[in-house]
Amino acid sequence: MTLQETPAAVLPRPGRRRDRQRFWQEVGMIAPAMLLLAIFLITPFLLSFWTAMTNQPLVPRPTPVRFVGLLNFQRVFTDPLFWTSLWNVTRFTIWVLPVQCGLAFLTALLLHQKLPMQNLLRGLFFLPAITSMVVVCVIWGTLFQYPSGPLNQIVGFLSGGLIQPIDWLGDPDWAMFSIVLLSAWQAYGFQMIIYLAGLQGIPDELYDAARIDGASALRRFWHVTMPGLRPTHVFVLVITTIQAFKLYTQVAILTQGGPKESTETVVHYMVRAGFEEQKLGYASAVSVILFVIVLLIALLQRKLLRRFDV
Amino acid sequence: MSDLALSQAAPLAKSRGNSKTGLRIVQSFSILLIALVMISPLFMLLIASLKDDRFQILADMGSFRAFWVSEPTLSNYKEIANFSGELAYGRYLFNSLAILVVTVISGLIVNSMAGFVLAWGSLRGKAILLALVVALYVIPQESIIMPLVVMMSRAGLTDTFAVQILPWVASPLYVFLFYQFFAQLPKELYEAAEMDGASAFRIYRSIYMPLSLPALATVSILMGIESWNQYLWPTLVTQTDYARPIAVAIATFFGQDSIYWDRAMAASVLMMIPVLILYLAFQRWFVSSFVGSAVKG
Repeated sequence: MTLQETPAAVLPRPGRRRDRQRFWQEVGMIAPAMLLLAIFLITPFLLSFWTAMTNQPLVPRPTPVRFVGLLNFQRVFTDPLFWTSLWNVTRFTIWVLPVQCGLAFLTALLLHQKLPMQNLLRGLFFLPAITSMVVVCVIWGTLFQYPSGPLNQIVGFLSGGLIQPIDWLGDPDWAMFSIVLLSAWQAYGFQMIIYLAGLQGIPDELYDAARIDGASALRRFWHVTMPGLRPTHVFVLVITTIQAFKLYTQVAILTQGGPKESTETVVHYMVRAGFEEQKLGYASAVSVILFVIVLLIALLQRKLLRRFDV
Repeated sequence: MSDLALSQAAPLAKSRGNSKTGLRIVQSFSILLIALVMISPLFMLLIASLKDDRFQILADMGSFRAFWVSEPTLSNYKEIANFSGELAYGRYLFNSLAILVVTVISGLIVNSMAGFVLAWGSLRGKAILLALVVALYVIPQESIIMPLVVMMSRAGLTDTFAVQILPWVASPLYVFLFYQFFAQLPKELYEAAEMDGASAFRIYRSIYMPLSLPALATVSILMGIESWNQYLWPTLVTQTDYARPIAVAIATFFGQDSIYWDRAMAASVLMMIPVLILYLAFQRWFVSSFVGSAVKG
């Protein structure tokens, strides 16, 4: 590669050998990652577009796989259950965004100060985030017990017995909200850390200057903290939204999409189509749609960040 | 001095040092109280796992007894900590640990080498590769999983450790995190080493790696948590006990007619321990580096 860049006569010979050695070393260092990405990410990604346009079943059959064009997409878009699942994850997103990001923001504000036991406190608030979703399901599965589980007892106690026990996971009106609660509790820790870093990124001088100008704490918060956190807000909202659209584990374990399909999600719908009904082509079409949704959200983030010129 | 953005009480004057320290301790304890409420479900899990009577566990839960055990016993743990049979949670735990260790260590090496070349290498197509890595970051795991399962079963990898490790070693996110970390180190570092005749790999190994502890810690925690919590993928590619990770095994409790909450809780505590250790070991570097890099992405 260097041969074209530099006239051979200029470089002393050992230099050229070193350049070549360096070239191969660099190739050797970057190749493992690129190879793995090519095999395990790019190939299945491209395959999913192809598979989505065939009638391929999960287990190979003697009949040849046929190209069916956009038939799978047409079927997905005419299946009411797909629209239900898309609406469900949208509903989930709308609820989980304020709960989870709000929790993350508030805890980050609490923790962003020099305190005794600072690391301990941060660690405690971060604990749910390192708890596996399966474990979270074990815990909240017991909390949600109907009719006399802990959460119902607390609700009953706080309302003085006015509110009847709620069938958290069994009532179609409540099931998705229950999933929101446990999801926000499990995941707010990461967003909290991102907010903490965002808060650390705001220069102290801005606060000092505002204070000298006589700005109250509330005004300092509104005119220094909030503008300084704008890119952080965008980032947090976007990753939470993307995460929300991929909702799967807690639903698969606790409700299997029920009751009455009130917690069916796009990924759960895809996995069911692919592995229970064995329609790989159809499931791939759903996965392509999921990718497009995530891509749109990511593009929106870029646009928003540009506008705030970060 | 960094202060709580909302706090009413943080006067500039340093002369009020004493009352300020007192205030800080009060603040600390109130925050501690909030933290304890937030993690009370975890504490409840631990306590319940030490109780013998399955029915008592549920009965206790609505009251303060959820946080107290008069006669702690390890019998639930003894029941499930086998290496074969129906409740082979010792084995599942080992499987998950093996997968985690191999994934994280190879991931650290593979992704950091690539990030290093992208930051300081002299390869021609570097900029294109970097753009590719950033673009690949958008693809969610869930949307490649269908064809990937078929690829893996055609390759005869179903029910192996390899199938749970190989696909997740290289990751656009971690390549990018390392790239970003290396790129912000001073240029002189690279040039000086190069003048001394060090090869690219040597510069990477002896100069850049020792300087990148914060990045290594961040990626270790993120990769570790990710690998430990994998659920969808292993349910699709494991069918027998042989390589089944603990997350999948715990979920099978929910498929049973009556859930053995006592065992499920003991298994859950077992599952929390390793990742807790990982976090404690690396948390010192976590906040500062994870975040600085993530927000700009």
